Amino acid sequence: MKNRILVISLALTILPLLAAGQPATDDLVSSCVIAAGENTTYLKDFRVQLPKAATNASAPVHKANMYLMKNMKYRFSVCDAPGSHGELYITLYDQGKELISSYNPGTGRKFSSVDFICNKTGLYTIWYSFVGGEQGSGVGVVCMIK
Amino acid sequence: MTGTITKIAAVILLVSACSCRNGSTRQSGLSFPVADSVPAGEAVKLSEEAVADIVQNIASPVEIASILQSMEVPFSAGYLAPTQGADRLTTNFQKALMLGIYGADLGYLNMYEKTGNSVDVLSTIKRLADGLRVGQFFDFETIKRLSVSKSNLDSLLFLSVNSYNQIDRFLRDNNRGSISALMIAGVWIEGQYLATQGALNNTDEILRDRIGEQKIILGDLLMLLRPYSSSGEEYRTLYGMMEEISSMYSGVKVSYRLGEPETREEDGRLVMVQHEESIVEMSDAQLAQIAEKSKEIRNKLISGN
Repeated sequence: MKNRILVISLALTILPLLAAGQPATDDLVSSCVIAAGENTTYLKDFRVQLPKAATNASAPVHKANMYLMKNMKYRFSVCDAPGSHGELYITLYDQGKELISSYNPGTGRKFSSVDFICNKTGLYTIWYSFVGGEQGSGVGVVCMIK
Repeated sequence: MTGTITKIAAVILLVSACSCRNGSTRQSGLSFPVADSVPAGEAVKLSEEAVADIVQNIASPVEIASILQSMEVPFSAGYLAPTQGADRLTTNFQKALMLGIYGADLGYLNMYEKTGNSVDVLSTIKRLADGLRVGQFFDFETIKRLSVSKSNLDSLLFLSVNSYNQIDRFLRDNNRGSISALMIAGVWIEGQYLATQGALNNTDEILRDRIGEQKIILGDLLMLLRPYSSSGEEYRTLYGMMEEISSMYSGVKVSYRLGEPETREEDGRLVMVQHEESIVEMSDAQLAQIAEKSKEIRNKLISGN
């Protein structure tokens, strides 16, 4: 665990220094993949940019459908872009039923990633949104866990 | 500590990779829109949103290979599509389809760590991607360097898969959905071929299930290709071939067993175990028919006939 924290800290320190002038989203995807941890294989990334929720309206959502396979373990990670007002979180749905979310509005607790051990092959819906309906930008990364 | 060093190396390599794809290269890619064989207006168009919804991860270049490797199905270079004829591909249809097929082969090589053998495949992918004016997303030099040195598989897998994702995103964002659909079909066909060939010599249930479950995915793949099926002979033929594979699945049953999910926290991470289950019923004879048809169609496509 200490090693992982060290690696991620180094990654986050080195990346901005070395990647000056490079497209920011790609850097964010790279660092988010690294932060997803060892023993993972990158599958997809989703670039999310959402406006602030209008008054009395629900929070804007970036939705994506993705096939997930039985007997596979997936890790859904989220990373906020530098300067993003909002904190990105992911919620996974199966046919409209919420399965797991990286943010619990009841407790205010937020995770940077969630793991899903899939037992049913099918099309799942991923919702990306920002806590409190804030304006924000970030990336969501989906990896297989080896 | 070794893991830490590896990760740091990975970070540096990834950043180097980003550095190779400079802004001007991207600009040049964006400034030369090409007319593909199916202009956006001609096909019976799905809305962009609907296509985007369908295509996410319909066929991953690495997932099938990952299963084969974890099942300890032996690697076979004989499964790979030959690269010799790639220079003779002239239409965007052929290039896009083969780009998908070679992408799945690259995933297969990488997952089995046969990266030293992948230079031919990489060179071919680069030529095809350039031919489709999407070569700017495929960082050939870095991927080749990582392949030859076998230095960091994680970085190699990331760059390879990310290149395909970026190509796909670019094509869809630029009204070239037909090319994106062909690339996805190519990845699926080759993944199906690798899986079925592996399953013929392996009795593992997970692999068999994965092949049976393609019944679900194939339906969406057909939906993705359908808008283009009336726009030319090549598209019509491909669609017909995919329908032939689909017909082999008519007797395969996929059912579902309900179950309540279980959520727990592990090492500060939320983990959900799904207990609802998909169940595949597929006989040996059905598997053999699916494997044979998949092989026949894949071989037709790679031979250009």
